[in-house]
Amino acid sequence: MSLALATLLYEWRRYMAAVVALAFSGLLVLAQVGIFVGIGKGFTAQIDRASADIMVLAPGAKALFSGPQGLPRRFIPLVYSHPEVTQVAPLDFSGGRFQNILTPEQQVKAQAAAKKGGKGGGPGGGTRKSEFVNLTVIDAIPGYVTVPTDYSPSMIEALRRPFAVAVDDTALKRLGVKKGDKALYNGKTVYVAVVTHGYPNIIQPMLVVSRDTLRMLGEADTGQRVGPLMVKISDPSRAEIVAAQLNKKGEGKFRAWTRQELADANASSMLDDQIIGIILGFSAFLGLLIGVIITWQTLRGAIMANIKEFASLRALGVSMGDLRNIVLELSFWVGIVGVLAAGLLTWVVSLVAAAGGVPMAFPPLLIVVVAIFLIVIAMLSGFLSLGVLKNSQPADLLR
Amino acid sequence: MSSGDNAHKRGETALKATHLVKRFKTGRSYIEVLKGVDFDAKHGDVTMVMGPSGSGKSTLVAALSGLLKPDEGKVSALEASDLWSLSNGKIDKFRLDHCGFIFQGFNLFPALSAKQQVMTALKYQGVGKGEQARRAQAALESVGLGARVNQRPSELSGGEKQRVAIARALAKNPNLIFADEPTSALDGENGQIVIRLLREAASVRGAAVICVTHDPRLEAYADRVIHIEDGRILDDVRRTPDADPAPFSH
Ligand SMILES: Nc1ncnc2c1ncn2[C@@H]1O[C@H](COP(=O)(O)OP(=O)(O)OP(=O)(O)O)[C@@H](O)[C@H]1O
Ligand SMILES: [Mg+2]
Repeated sequence: MSLALATLLYEWRRYMAAVVALAFSGLLVLAQVGIFVGIGKGFTAQIDRASADIMVLAPGAKALFSGPQGLPRRFIPLVYSHPEVTQVAPLDFSGGRFQNILTPEQQVKAQAAAKKGGKGGGPGGGTRKSEFVNLTVIDAIPGYVTVPTDYSPSMIEALRRPFAVAVDDTALKRLGVKKGDKALYNGKTVYVAVVTHGYPNIIQPMLVVSRDTLRMLGEADTGQRVGPLMVKISDPSRAEIVAAQLNKKGEGKFRAWTRQELADANASSMLDDQIIGIILGFSAFLGLLIGVIITWQTLRGAIMANIKEFASLRALGVSMGDLRNIVLELSFWVGIVGVLAAGLLTWVVSLVAAAGGVPMAFPPLLIVVVAIFLIVIAMLSGFLSLGVLKNSQPADLLR
Repeated sequence: MSSGDNAHKRGETALKATHLVKRFKTGRSYIEVLKGVDFDAKHGDVTMVMGPSGSGKSTLVAALSGLLKPDEGKVSALEASDLWSLSNGKIDKFRLDHCGFIFQGFNLFPALSAKQQVMTALKYQGVGKGEQARRAQAALESVGLGARVNQRPSELSGGEKQRVAIARALAKNPNLIFADEPTSALDGENGQIVIRLLREAASVRGAAVICVTHDPRLEAYADRVIHIEDGRILDDVRRTPDADPAPFSH
């Protein structure tokens, strides 16, 4: 084991401040990105978990919901004509006002509460709620390309019935409904047939309906243009190849994405937003500043504590360059430990957040970037602390 | 690289300094700490430098060993005919190849075991990993710490720590060994062990040992005793080391 690593492990208390600073710098960036990406995922979760291997979007789309989306209907048979494609279904979205329907008793209570000027509403959800919701569509056929893989056959069965909607358990309170309740969607009566789990959206509640229900609500795409196409192929491991072949076939009139490609693009499209970019840039800068200052001072102190030992190496003829390398190696290891600590801390925070209904999501690329960022902070601090080595004067040991 | 055994060179001059002058600036004036010192040391000799506190002993050792540049004078050591005319890098290299140091403080890295301390010093000489371990083990055994090789400084007594420091200095088989008050932090018994090890390095391996001390009991082990006072050499006595020096008592 090298001197630097041995020192870090043995005198870890000395380096705690640096590791903690790095962990929080990492958390500052990771947690925010995690929340933003998590919010974005809230809108696409139902599509992400469908069994589509390939998605076909309009040529200029940067991600789902970013850039032009829809396609002419005639592309459906075109995509179908690829021999490996087994299913093609267009995505369909809608949105509108969702209102709960109170029972007569609840109405009386609500009115009484309104008179008293109180906040009204007990745990029974007996208040009038009116929310804008997003609607997405599935084909109520088990195993179909638009159906999330974690939907059970009974859920699909329930959604097949007219005017049945699925609501995530995290949205029930906000919408003031429970399973089996009737409610109004854009003035039409629907009922909560299915309660899903694991599809939170903290911006806007999401409702899932069958394609037939959407049509009965009068909101389905029936014209010449349809939403992005979800495509299932016979051998999912060939998705990349088939996507490339489809793109060739489309001659630039659409673009086929593999599921992973699109999921990555969706995650980063959230971060393209200017305001979010500014917030993140500022956080990263703050993390860098605080991380460098604390890590630098910690390293300085730790090196000073061993300065006589360093001086004795100098006396024995070890060059200043070699001592610098020891310090830089030490900084590197501090950075590595900082990355691990940041990961741990972020994991704990994300658990707490998830328990509080704020799901976070971390694209792998983001984790790599933040890890490099933390190691850069540590190395920068190491470079700054090289100055203290000047104090390693071996002549001072002769007294 | 270190030249290892120099037993055959015994009696040859290993180090020679002429007219060393060193001044320190204190406030506005300079104090002259070395006032034209001539000095030499031979292979196989334990040369003891004695004198009152503040007389310039440590400063002399620093100038002889390439740690502190004198203002005037010349040091020639082994193949370096004018040590202080070399570049800093070359002086580092000279120390790396030829010099061992033992200080009053032990200056061991708290995180490293005794063996790792010695191995670390060897590593920078370009010694391979396996050879590092072998030589470290041998050096620690030679100072009587064969059973303590895996202990860290916090688990060693003061005397044992100083022996680790000696093993670290001796493992590279230096031709020149500089010791500044190596025993003053130790009790009589441990002090005796340490000076015996230095004596042995001189007699057996032919190293030139230059040892600064206050302790008159160490004189028994010396081939030569130089007294220095106020930056000047007072006297320089050659003697025969006692065959069986009386044990130290405290
Ligand atoms: N870096 C320095 N700056 C200023 N003065 C110094 C410096 N180093 C040593 N001196 C002075 O030089 C004189 C000789 O110091 P030196 O350390 O050589 O003495 P010494 O003989 O080793 O003493 P001791 O027996 O106490 O160790 C002292 O008066 C000391 O104050
Ligand atoms: Mg001294």
